[in-house]
Amino acid sequence: MERVKERAKVLEIKDLRVSFHTRRGVFKALRGVDLELYKGEVLGLAGESGSGKSTLGLAIMGLLPRNARVESGEVLLDGSKDVLKRLRDYGSRDVKFDPRKNEKLIKRLNKELREVRGRALAMVFQEPLTSLNPVLQVGYQIAEAVYYHDPMRLVRRAISRNRCTQADLRDLMTTLKTKGEEALIEEVEKRNLRGLEEQILSIWRRQDIHEAKKEKLILSLDKHKLDSKDRLGISIYLRGLQRVPVLGRLAKDALIKEGYRLAVEILTYLGIPHPEKVVRMYPHELSGGMRQRVVIGIAIVNNPEIVIMDEPTSALDVTIQAQILELVSSLKASSNRSFIFISHDLSVLAEVSDRIAIMYAGKIAEVGPVKVIFEEPQHPYTKMLMDAIPTMDKTELKAIPGSVPDMRSPPKGCSFSNRCPFVMPKCKEMEPPMVEVSEGHKVACFLVGERK
Amino acid sequence: MIGAFNLKKYFPVRGGVVGTQYLKAVDNVTLTVRRGEVVGVVGESGSGKSTLGRMLIRLLEPTGGEILLDAPEEEMVKYREALESGDKESAEMISRKYSLLRKKGSELRKLRTRMSMVFQDPYSSLDPRFRILDVIMEPMISTGYLRGEEARKKALDLLEEVGLPRAFGNRYPHELSGGQRQRVAIARALSTDPELVILDEPTSALDVSVQAQILNLLKEFRRRKNITMVLITHNIAVVSYMADRVAVMYSGRLMEIGDKDDVLTRPKHPYTMALISSVPRPRPGEARKRIVLKGDPPNLLSPPRGCVFHPRCPMAFHECGWTAEEVAEDINYLVQGKYYNVFGDNVKVIPLQDKVKVEGANPESIKKVLEVERENIRSLTAVKEVTEDSLLIIHAFQEPKLYKESERRSVSCLLYR
Amino acid sequence: MEERTEEGKYSNLILSLKVFFSNRTAVAGMVIFLAYVVDALIMQFDPRLLGVTNPNQFTYNFVNPVPQPPSSQYPLGTTYPGINLLQAILEAIRVDLGYSMLIVVGGAVIGAVVGILAAYVGGYLDELLMRFTDIFFSVPYLVLAIAVGFALGRSFTSMVIALIIVWWPIYARYTRSLTLSIKESVFVEAAKAAGASMVRIMFKHILPNTLPPVVVQISLDLGSVVGVFATLAFIGFIPNANTPELGYLASLGLNYVQSAPWTVIFPGLAITLFALSVNLMGDGLRDVIDPRRRS
Repeated sequence: MERVKERAKVLEIKDLRVSFHTRRGVFKALRGVDLELYKGEVLGLAGESGSGKSTLGLAIMGLLPRNARVESGEVLLDGSKDVLKRLRDYGSRDVKFDPRKNEKLIKRLNKELREVRGRALAMVFQEPLTSLNPVLQVGYQIAEAVYYHDPMRLVRRAISRNRCTQADLRDLMTTLKTKGEEALIEEVEKRNLRGLEEQILSIWRRQDIHEAKKEKLILSLDKHKLDSKDRLGISIYLRGLQRVPVLGRLAKDALIKEGYRLAVEILTYLGIPHPEKVVRMYPHELSGGMRQRVVIGIAIVNNPEIVIMDEPTSALDVTIQAQILELVSSLKASSNRSFIFISHDLSVLAEVSDRIAIMYAGKIAEVGPVKVIFEEPQHPYTKMLMDAIPTMDKTELKAIPGSVPDMRSPPKGCSFSNRCPFVMPKCKEMEPPMVEVSEGHKVACFLVGERK
Repeated sequence: MIGAFNLKKYFPVRGGVVGTQYLKAVDNVTLTVRRGEVVGVVGESGSGKSTLGRMLIRLLEPTGGEILLDAPEEEMVKYREALESGDKESAEMISRKYSLLRKKGSELRKLRTRMSMVFQDPYSSLDPRFRILDVIMEPMISTGYLRGEEARKKALDLLEEVGLPRAFGNRYPHELSGGQRQRVAIARALSTDPELVILDEPTSALDVSVQAQILNLLKEFRRRKNITMVLITHNIAVVSYMADRVAVMYSGRLMEIGDKDDVLTRPKHPYTMALISSVPRPRPGEARKRIVLKGDPPNLLSPPRGCVFHPRCPMAFHECGWTAEEVAEDINYLVQGKYYNVFGDNVKVIPLQDKVKVEGANPESIKKVLEVERENIRSLTAVKEVTEDSLLIIHAFQEPKLYKESERRSVSCLLYR
Repeated sequence: MEERTEEGKYSNLILSLKVFFSNRTAVAGMVIFLAYVVDALIMQFDPRLLGVTNPNQFTYNFVNPVPQPPSSQYPLGTTYPGINLLQAILEAIRVDLGYSMLIVVGGAVIGAVVGILAAYVGGYLDELLMRFTDIFFSVPYLVLAIAVGFALGRSFTSMVIALIIVWWPIYARYTRSLTLSIKESVFVEAAKAAGASMVRIMFKHILPNTLPPVVVQISLDLGSVVGVFATLAFIGFIPNANTPELGYLASLGLNYVQSAPWTVIFPGLAITLFALSVNLMGDGLRDVIDPRRRS
């Protein structure tokens, strides 16, 4: 647990308040959320429908709809970049909220965030079919994700492969075998072949084939030279002519073609059999689990620091869900990425998360390390939720009476007070503050404050 | 109380070049439900569990098979034996007496009072233009069970029984929350005092806290009214909480059936084992062996031969239905990847009819690879022998039947022949 | 996203009104439409309010039969034979509106029944009924209407029947496609499980759910029906020459159209304005019933 403290914060959310202005009234979706995400962890975000967990995910991405008003709060990336500043500046002003004005700001925000998304932040949605374009090949969609965020990476890959010789590859192979991966990267740098290292390493890191095969694949990289059309396309790109109508097409075609190669590497990495065939398929030809892998592939292809997964397994079957959960765990282990895993299913979160935040009615009720949350939950809502989940060994379920409050007029004081069995007069008056009960374990409940 | 025998449902799928194909949604399922018990039917999407439930109350007409209603236990057993031994005459006699499928018109309508269904999505299962009271009264009026004022009174009582205020009767469904709507759907299903209720994923559209409320409500009704229930769900935890017996389905077939505790704690069928081990548990950090199945459920238009589960089964063996294509693919994968150093570039793997030809490889090294990899790659078990000219002969396969594993337990797996 | 719960406090009606009234052109359309309706009602029940003594006839003035341009006495001028155009239009609206309503609603009722039957029963009946509507679709509607009209004799009744015959296939097609989707919904399945008969499912469950879109369609169609009705009257498809009707009114001034264009323009404008208003209103209504546009 102390290690958690030492880790660097990659994301910090401070007092975030977002409301949705609809014809049915103003829904207060987030009502002051404070949360941190540390490097290399999986943060599980649990809550029922209407708790605001999905809104939180969207707010971090800056993907809010036009009727969302950011009333206050900051979303800080790497401790500095304030994602929602523009929207907050408008939303916190005391004027009548105009969705059209907000939409303009969101459009501008999207332009700004294009850089950030993909490289720093990526998102995986619940229903893979809706986040994939049905008329484009899977490989194209992965390639395009790279093309938009980091086209130079594709250029480097193509050029370095085109330039390298058999002798280069042999030397690099020896370096890799004798001195390891870091030496390889240095060596590539020295030979001015940047872009080649990721191609070599993606083969080298494969688990499923024999060393001899890997070696052969790496040594044959120089066989995949560019044809004249692609060379032309890339030189057009390098001369900055990609906006010229016909020439631009050539440039994009060449880079997308390179992107397909990258897509094959990514899909191989995600454990999809026959990746060369899969990249040429359309989303509807894939099964649900495969589609979700592809979506994850698109999310991680630009090596983002933070991946937000909004119910990534809820539409999948249990056996497929197990595959995806295993994939998430292995992604976490093999990189230093941070994940926010949003789910209504606490059991799923128990499997993947390092820390868990429980949301209720637009606020964090309790947050802490996963073991603590499951073994010593402090907030009455968390406790009751644990008793309400059916599991294979429970003989009795204790339902939580009542239902979620109307988010147009959330109750004064603690939002759980109308369903809480331990309710005190104080709970109806004031909102309970977040109290740290133990290292990294915070609870928003007066009961806990009392005891301290 | 109700028994389904060799029940089949094939949906025709009109295709271009291939002509009409049949999607085998449910294939040869035999399932009996005793009075007063709760049978859980678990399976993943596409396993045919919902289709099975709809056939049991004749919302869908089966393509084949028989459903017996109200037949005493002995008759059911006799019918089954008659079917197995091919004794058509006595089967016909029993079926004439108890068959649900032969009921027609008013007789069927009368039967509708005795069975009902609760659907998955409470947002779409209530007619948006009906008031709640009319929704609940519908089965009583349609079947002539109760009429007018009596039906009204009963509906109001039911509202109270499912924990909703009587005043809700005049509201429209869109004014209610998901949990409340599902309560209404339950009230509707119980309005004709049915003996059999089919619950099709009754809680999967609901939040956890509401799910517990609904499950407890159903349990309460079951205790008070001794209703027989068939609970269809993908959520094993829900089945574990509610059911007495569990049937596990996969790709339209029944894999295993038995008492809940037996099936869930000591699964016999490899699929059940994998399914149960994949259920996430709220025990962080708990070390347990999880069987993660490879691949996806099969395409129901052309299911695998033999046992439908064999391509994903970690325990499959030579008779499970391996085809030359499946074996060839796995061998090719090994030859090209892991054993590249042994075989090199010039090996070609060609699937033939029940044989796999491996060109350019020496039979001894193939045998060695088969020996080592057999444990992990189950398709290799199907290789009966490797001939001198590197021809791999594939074993004959057997279709699994439902084997009686113990008195109250049947498993459809060749391991339990 | 979070709207499903606790919807009850805001009644659906209020929400629908909000959606409708936020569409300004639709409100303008409705205002014009209501003006027409009010005019028709006044003419029906108390025409003297607008200074008309007999709304069933045009008031001729043979003393000065030549069309007069708009003046303070005749705000819209007069048409042959000396008819006060404003008054005549006010009278004629009642007839046009009434018969058009009759035609559209009649067509919609027949079409809805046929469409629901075809879609719900399906199979051969569906095939038969839809081929039948195809026949009607394949003949140009004006030709069909004239043919039916001649067969039945030239009267208002036969004109109404002719147009209903022309119009119902559109509704049959429309309700059929609506029914096909509603038929698959879970609440229909639930009704089947409850033992509801086919007739009950068709008319208690499916029909009420097809109504809102059909009503929108009616409102959109009303404009074109008025146009067609007036056209038929204009080309002389009218029995009793003295009945106030917009198309007929326009045809009266036809001989003077070069010297006195208002005699044709104003009746035509009355028709166009009506068609425009119901179309705008229909668009607004469509927004009301479309859940996607309600957020």
